[in-house]
Order: sequence, then C-alpha cells, then structure tokens
Amino acid sequence: MSERDRVRRFFKRHPHHHLTFFQRPYVSRRQFFQIAGAGVTGSFLLPRLGQAQQPPTSQGVATQNTAKNVIFILLAGAISHTDTFDLKVVNGVTPTNFAPATVNGINWPMGLLPKIGALLPNLALVRSMQAHALVHTLAQHWTQIGRNPAAALGNIAPNIGSVVSIEKTQPGQLFPAFIALNSGACVTNGYFPATYAPFKLNPLATGIPNTTNPDDPVGAAGGRFSQMYTQLQAIDGPLRTNSPYGKPLQDYNDFYTAAQQMMYNKVVDSTFAFSSTDSARYGSSSFGNACLVAKQVLAANQGTRFILITNLNWDMHQDIYGQQNPKGNNLYTMGTPLDNGYSALLTDLQTGGLLNQTMVVMVGEFGRTVGPLSAAGGRDHWLQQSAVFAGAGVKGGRAIGSTTADGSATADPGWGRGRSINPEDIEATIYSALGIDWTTVRHDDPFGRGFEYVPFSDQNLYGPINELWGGTSTT
Amino acid sequence: MCRGFISCFLILASAASAQDGIPDFVVPHPECLLFGPRYNEFVSKALNLNNLTPHRAAVGDLTRNVAARLAFVPPDSRTFSFAQPSEPGTIDFYIFGALQAAGVTPAPPTTDYEFIRRVTLDLTGRIPSPSQVSTFVSDTTPNKRARLVDQLIAAPQWIDKWTMFLGDLYQNNSQNSQIRRFPDGVKALNDYVRGALTANEPYDQMARDLITATGTNSYQLGTLNLLAGGVVTGGPIQDIFDQQTANIFDMFMGIAHVNCLLCHNGHGHLDALSLWGSQTTRYEAWQLSSYLSHTEATRTAAPGAVNGQPYYWNVADNTKAAHLDYPLNTTTGNRPPRQPSGAQTNVAPMYFFNGDTPRSGESYRQALARDITSDFQFARATVNRFWAYFFQVGLVDPPDQFDPARLDPNNPPAAPWTLQPTNPQLLNSLAQDFINHQYDLKWLMRTIVNSQAYQLSSRYNGAYSSAWDALYARHFVRRLWSEEVHDAIAQSSNIVPAYTVASNGTLNWAMQFPEPLNTPSAGNAVTPFLDAFLRGNRDDEVRSGDGSISQALDLMNDPFVMSRVKSNGPAGSLLVQNLSLPDSQLIDTLFMAVLSRHPNGQELATAESQLASGTRSQQAENLLWSLYNKVDFVFNY
Repeated sequence: MSERDRVRRFFKRHPHHHLTFFQRPYVSRRQFFQIAGAGVTGSFLLPRLGQAQQPPTSQGVATQNTAKNVIFILLAGAISHTDTFDLKVVNGVTPTNFAPATVNGINWPMGLLPKIGALLPNLALVRSMQAHALVHTLAQHWTQIGRNPAAALGNIAPNIGSVVSIEKTQPGQLFPAFIALNSGACVTNGYFPATYAPFKLNPLATGIPNTTNPDDPVGAAGGRFSQMYTQLQAIDGPLRTNSPYGKPLQDYNDFYTAAQQMMYNKVVDSTFAFSSTDSARYGSSSFGNACLVAKQVLAANQGTRFILITNLNWDMHQDIYGQQNPKGNNLYTMGTPLDNGYSALLTDLQTGGLLNQTMVVMVGEFGRTVGPLSAAGGRDHWLQQSAVFAGAGVKGGRAIGSTTADGSATADPGWGRGRSINPEDIEATIYSALGIDWTTVRHDDPFGRGFEYVPFSDQNLYGPINELWGGTSTT
Repeated sequence: MCRGFISCFLILASAASAQDGIPDFVVPHPECLLFGPRYNEFVSKALNLNNLTPHRAAVGDLTRNVAARLAFVPPDSRTFSFAQPSEPGTIDFYIFGALQAAGVTPAPPTTDYEFIRRVTLDLTGRIPSPSQVSTFVSDTTPNKRARLVDQLIAAPQWIDKWTMFLGDLYQNNSQNSQIRRFPDGVKALNDYVRGALTANEPYDQMARDLITATGTNSYQLGTLNLLAGGVVTGGPIQDIFDQQTANIFDMFMGIAHVNCLLCHNGHGHLDALSLWGSQTTRYEAWQLSSYLSHTEATRTAAPGAVNGQPYYWNVADNTKAAHLDYPLNTTTGNRPPRQPSGAQTNVAPMYFFNGDTPRSGESYRQALARDITSDFQFARATVNRFWAYFFQVGLVDPPDQFDPARLDPNNPPAAPWTLQPTNPQLLNSLAQDFINHQYDLKWLMRTIVNSQAYQLSSRYNGAYSSAWDALYARHFVRRLWSEEVHDAIAQSSNIVPAYTVASNGTLNWAMQFPEPLNTPSAGNAVTPFLDAFLRGNRDDEVRSGDGSISQALDLMNDPFVMSRVKSNGPAGSLLVQNLSLPDSQLIDTLFMAVLSRHPNGQELATAESQLASGTRSQQAENLLWSLYNKVDFVFNY
C-alpha cells in the first residue's frame, strides 16, 4: 500500500476533526497587511553585495529572564497525552488502576504517575499544544529546533540547545554549555561552529568515557599520562602552540587543552559519575541516570546551561496498557521510570535550591489518538499533545489551555495568542526564560540572509507562553 | 532547502503575472531560503559573491597555520619558476597564467614525501605504506608521479573511497527524515556505484542510469534508491516531483536554486544570490519538475516484514497516480499552493535552458536525463565538484551554487555582478576536456592530480597574502575524513579490525562501510570514535572537517588507539615488530609508518632523548601515541 493510501485509510479510520500537517497558522487581517506592507521583496538586495558580516539584530523584546538553566526532556516516540498529562478517562478503556484523581483541579493518573502527581503544585501543564507533523523523525527534529526541519533553514538550523550555547558560553568554562544525555540522534549545532555542538553522553556510573587513559587510571602529576602528554607537547609543540597566524590551528589545540582539562578532573568525575544508591533513588533506569547526571551537572555550575534528555520508546501502537504483555513496551513499563526519574530530579533541584533558576520542559514530538484504543490495543499518532513546565518561576498547580471532551483538539487555547501552542512557541518560551531575546536574527548563516532564533519573529507569529509565569489557573 | 513550506503561512497572489497568468507567490523571508541536501557546503562554506568566500579564507588560514608548523622542512624546497611553459588549455596553463598575471609567486612544488601522502589520501583514503614511500622517493625515473597516480587509481581502495564520496553526494543512507532504504537498499546503490566505478562507466551514463531507473525492487536494482530519496511523505505527489527535481539539479547540475524556484519566482528572493535565479520563475521550475510528474515511487513490504518494514521501493512511470503533466491542483503540502491559472491546470515538461521537450518514444525521465547530460553545465558542475574535493575549494564554491548567468567569460554579467568562477576559462576548458574524454572520472582525477597546480605545496616560502587564495597559489589542507583517521591508525599499527556490518558481512576498513552511521554492528565500540570525527549521516548532519573535544579525548584515550600503541600487543603489530630496533631506526620506522615521512632533526633528537629516559618499551609506546596525536597526522597537507 502506498504512503498516500495509508494516510487516507488512517484518516478514514479516525474521523475526528483534525488539523492537518499542512494547515497553516492563522493570520489575521491586520497581520496580513503588516506583512504585506513591510515589503518583503527586494529589501536586502544590494546591501548584501560585498557586505561584511553583521552582528545579530533583534527587536529588543522584554524577556522573562528567570532561568539560568534549562532541562529539556524529549519523550520521543510521543507519549499518549490523554493517558497522562491531559487525562481523559474513557469508560471501559482506561485501566482502573490509573486511579484518576483531581489535584488542584487537575485530572491526574495517580496510579500510573504517582510521584509526579505529588509534585503537581510545581507543574504547569500546557494542554493546548499541537504538533505540526505526524512523522517521528520530522517532528522530533521540529521539537528540537523549533521550526520546520523540512523547510529552508530547517536543514542547517541548530538545536535550541546550540542557540543557548552560543548565547551563554563563557570563556574558560569547564563544561560545554549544551549537554545531550541519551540523545545519540539528537539535532546538533547546525551551521554553528562545532564549539556549540551538544556534548553527547550516555551516562555511565563511571563517568565520561575516555577521560581516563587506560594506561593510567590515576593521572597523577608525573604519572604515565602526564608523561605522554608532556612528550606530545615536546615533539609536536612547534605545530600546535603560540599560533600567531589565526584561529584554526589554535582551535585544534584548544580542543586538546579542553580535553586534557576534562581528564582526571575531580569535578568532571564527581559530576558525571554516580553511585548506585543515587541511581536507585532515580529509579535505576537509563532515564533516571540521565536525570541524576543532569542534576549533578547543574549543581556543579561549570557553565552548562542546556541539558537535553531523550526518553525513548513512547510509540505505543500496540498494547498500550500491557494487557497482552505486561512486560512489553507500554505505559506502565515506560511510566514508572519516568515517574521515578522526573520526580527525583525535580525534588533534588528543589532541595538544592536549583529549581527556581532551572526551567524543566517535558514534551513529546506529538500526541496520540484519543478515545477507544485501536484494534491493536494501541494509540496512533495525533497532533494534539501536552507539554509540562516546571521551575524558574513557572507558577505550578495549573493547566494552561484545555482540550475537547475526548482530548482530540484544543478547546480553549488558554493564552494570549488565542491559538494552539506550537513547538515554535515552546522554543520562544525557553529563550525568554533564559533572558535570550527570542526575536534575535543572526546574520552569520551561510546565505547571509538571517537566521531567526524563532521563525517569523519579525511578524510576531510565535512567542513565549508568558502565562506560565502568571495569571490564574485555568483547568 | 525549500523542501518544506509547511509553516510558511503567507501566500499572496500578487497582481503581477509572471508567465501565462501564473501568479507570483510572495513568500516571506528569511525562512524560505535555499539549503539543499548538500548543506555541508552551505554550512562550512559561504556564498561566492566576490570570489572571496569565508570558506576560502578559512581553509587558507588553516593551511597557513598547518604549513607554518610542519616540523618537516624538506631540503629541496625551491622557488617556483614560470619558465617552464604549460600547454595551452591545461589546468596549469590557466592557474599559472592567472598567477603570473597577478604577479604572484606560487608555493614551491611538493616534495616526494608530501606528494605521495597527499595523493594517496586524496585518491584512496589511505596513507601510503612505508615501503611505498621509500620506493617512490628513491625512484629516479621520469614520470614517477604519473605512474604512482595510475597505480592508485587502479587500486581497490580507490573504489572504496569514491563509493563513499558518491554515496555522500547521492545521500545514500538507510533512513532519512522521510523514508528508509534499509541496509539492503543502501548496499544495492553502493553495489551499483562500485560496479560503475570498477567498469569506469562514463559519468553521464551513471547520471542517466540514476535518473531513469525503473523497476520493482530497490534491493535488487540499486539505482532506484536515488529517486526514492526524494520521496516526501504525507503531502501531495507534487511535493515528491519537486523534491526529486531539486535533488537531481543539485547533485548533477550544481544548481541548488532550482529548489527555491519550485516555491516561488526568483525575483524578490534570489536577487542577491543568483543573477540567473533572479530572472527565473516558478513556472519555469515547474517545467523541470514536470519531467518527474509521470513517475511514482511506491513501497512494497519485503518478505518477512513486520508492520510493513522493511520495505523496498518500486519506481514506475505513467501510473494511475502519476500520468498527468505537473498538475496545478493543490493548496497543501510542503510548498505554496499549486493552483490553476485560468484554464491552465497542468504544466508540460520543458528543459527551459534550451527549449527542448520530450521526444516521441521517450519517457519524460529519459528526456530529462538526455537534456541534463547533454547540457554543458552537467560537465561543468561535475568537474567543479571533483575540483572542490581535490583543492578544498571549488572554482565555483560551494559546488552546488552555480549561477548559470555568470559563467561565460565572453559574456560577463553587468556590474555589480562578476563572473562566478574564480577561473572561468579553466572551468570551461576542463569541462570541455571532460566531455572530450567521454565523461571519464578516472581521466578527470588523473588530470587534476597530475597538474602542477595540484602538486603545489601547502608551505609557502616568504610572505603570503590571503588575497592569493583565490588564485590557488598554494595547496589547502584538510582534516582527514573520519574513515581515513580510522583506516590510517589500523593500517599503520598493523592491527586491522574486523567488523560485522548488516547486509555486508565482514569489513576491515571504515572506508568500506556502506554509510557513515550506525556501523559497525553493536559490540564494536568504534562507532562513537568514528562519529567523533564528524562523518555526517547523509541527511541532517554534515560531513565536517571541524575539530572537537571528543576527537582529542578519543585520539588520546580511546581503546581503538590505545590498543594499537602497545609494546606487548599482537605479534605482527608495528611496535612489537620493531621494538628491538636501535633507537634512531625505531623512531624512523614509526614516523614512516604513521606520518609517511622521516623525522626532522629536532624531532629525532627529542624522540631519542625520550627513548633514553625511563622504561624503553613504555617510552616507545608514548612516542607512537604522540605520533597519532600529532597535528600532521590528522591533516592531509
């Protein structure tokens, strides 16, 4: 069956009202004339010829500026929103042991996610969110870059974390500004220099690989590695130091300097390694370990400002409640590690005084179908979804926006822009929280035509969810 | 790239009519830019407006830095003399002519040591063995460089290297953000490329093979996988026609702006980027896309598939879904609406560069392949792409940013535009020679690397100005590809790994891997090592020559390296075999194996004093380790 036929059949089987992949954002008549009047053609023709690189420009918007750090948890595969963050109990379908309860007026599956449920006073649930696309890779990239990956700049767009990195990296900091945990396939630095690429790491109890030379476990002064490094400098010194000619070779040597600083470094070891006791407290899962390392990295305060954690395997087309195979990939087997890891992270951040300066964002690439399960006992892809925010001044215990009775579409957008919230808005929210002017346009992209941190910011199409920081609860 | 238009919200039909009443589509900037799938060029290089690209400046910088620090200063450096005449029409005729006209003295020629390492890496992705180096250097017969080049082009490693190169160009990956080819499909396309390279199939024939491939199983007919890569899911079929067209014009014609034009007229978008593009309409781009409009790529689940996967591709013409000329009947998709204009509801194919249309008895794709491969631009784009690899910077750079209106030296564009190639006569001459030699890739490579221009050193005697970069006054350095780093360590240490790779059995060399990702199979920890050297993924990650902390950590500490510098390693390994040699010989042997050259006096003295202190076997390990971490190991200079 062709892709097109599959899509047709899919929508035949799911006759919900849906907003398609291709439905374009709404443009008011007023915006229309603003844009048309701006003269989008021809405005940057001649100045570009022979023009030197410009510094970034922006509209100088006010930002929230409440966050020093961001932890971005990507629930890859797409979590079922109506079973979790936007619980819609379907009689005879929703398992009774989900134990739905109302906390602060918010419906919550206390049986499935009890520990996160206990933290609801800290959480703001965005329920009026919609993805643009229903293809995993595409939508996951979309979530990470805050724009259409299949579009123009999408292909070379840096990860949100790389934008944070280029904005926040300080000279001499020990850790990279952007760390990606369990995120081997994540979007990287795009057209930015490699300096702002995510430092990718799968947390291990023993810390970062290759920061200890196998022939020298201790790394004492005068020890084996120190000898090797000294000998390297002696034999290669003329090639790599005191470069009077420019940056590239110094850069290459800088990588060695940075690498050498990370080796045998107590701060590095204590930050990236962890004990089995702590790991157990976070649920002894790879996700839990990533949460633990994220907390340790922020506590070390060595320059890391954005941590991406990918939590895989939420794509539950079959047996979503584990009725056939309780040990398979289902909401329970995925939910428990999520509940343990996320709750421990939030609790530790709070205890350590980091939560008020750290925004924790949790989001999938889209949602899942609502109501009764599919014939396979699962839920398929759906645009409506939820996002979860905590920390950095976000007022918790609330939901922003609401969905229709079955959770298939936005009922009340719940925020100033009066439409569903998109990944671009999440991106703008993150920048605003970090005090980064989200209307910034860099003029260092390969075509010199301007890379907007948030697409279409000149037309004010997307923007931060300022309601997270204030206003009253809407459920 | 303009593949995506999903979030482009503003579609204005202006009063201005472009052609036949087809409305202008005014699209907001800057989101709708052109970034083709070859975006590594876009990323690492920048626009070639005044022939002073940031990329050229960067590689020039890099070259100056590396060359200034090459510890080995060859004894036979000499100043270049223009006295030796170059045959008119050759590469050297144009390059040295331009240098002489500008009064610029080029860098000295490479020494034999520099040349054999450079050309062996460039042609085969490997470093030369010590005996190859010694034999070559001591050879006193004429034309030894040309004979070396012939040997390298005939070597099996040449096939490995260029299969990887063309796999990057054709984006032959098992999965992109839209579709999958699966390991069997990747292998099939690789097998096609290997076969074509082995048979030295003319490149125009390869292009025809890939553009016109028709068949029912992409695991069996590898060429089907090229068009499959242009499949865009979820949208109208025009999205697919457009993407396939964009890919073809990017890969084979070096005109990535076709992708832009498939969304909107060039006027108002490409005015500062492409003189040709600024005058070209979306309607004209549709005429190109129309050549794909009778083609459909569908999927069939492979035997034993679960949930439809794995699947293979079928590509057929004039199917039920694709038998009308490019239909103007969508308001959705990755690009702005394609709507009828008056009574016109379809766009017929026309190769608007010369007005050609399909002939009777010819499928649309056959017509397109004929038009493309008989277009001089095809030869020009191809020689430029290979030039860009061998010289680090294309005569037009990036190589897919050709502006067809700025290529003719006899008809230069009006100010402020300039001719686009840094040496337009050379580009045209080389392209014509390529045609005269039946699009023979081996001939092209041989011609390039046998030129004196290619054989200039990256060192420069005396003061050098970066303004000379555009003249190719010296050779530019490049960091070795990820696969080259891996294979150089394996080869020089004589500890050659064996990897089990899906659908490919056991492979020893990274350059033989079917694609630069996810290989080899689990259990081999070398994948992170390879990834650290930024080999790209043929989709949204670029092959890059950048450095990183991880590269330094890995070269210093990774078991892949550390296990190869042991004095108590496998019996046949470099260090174990040579440990008993006297100090100076041991040092020389290690230098020759790893760096393909002898140590200079300072290096020899430093290494000798190191070997004389402490435990000798450990000091020898340290020395070998240092060589793998030397900057001239990781660069091809």
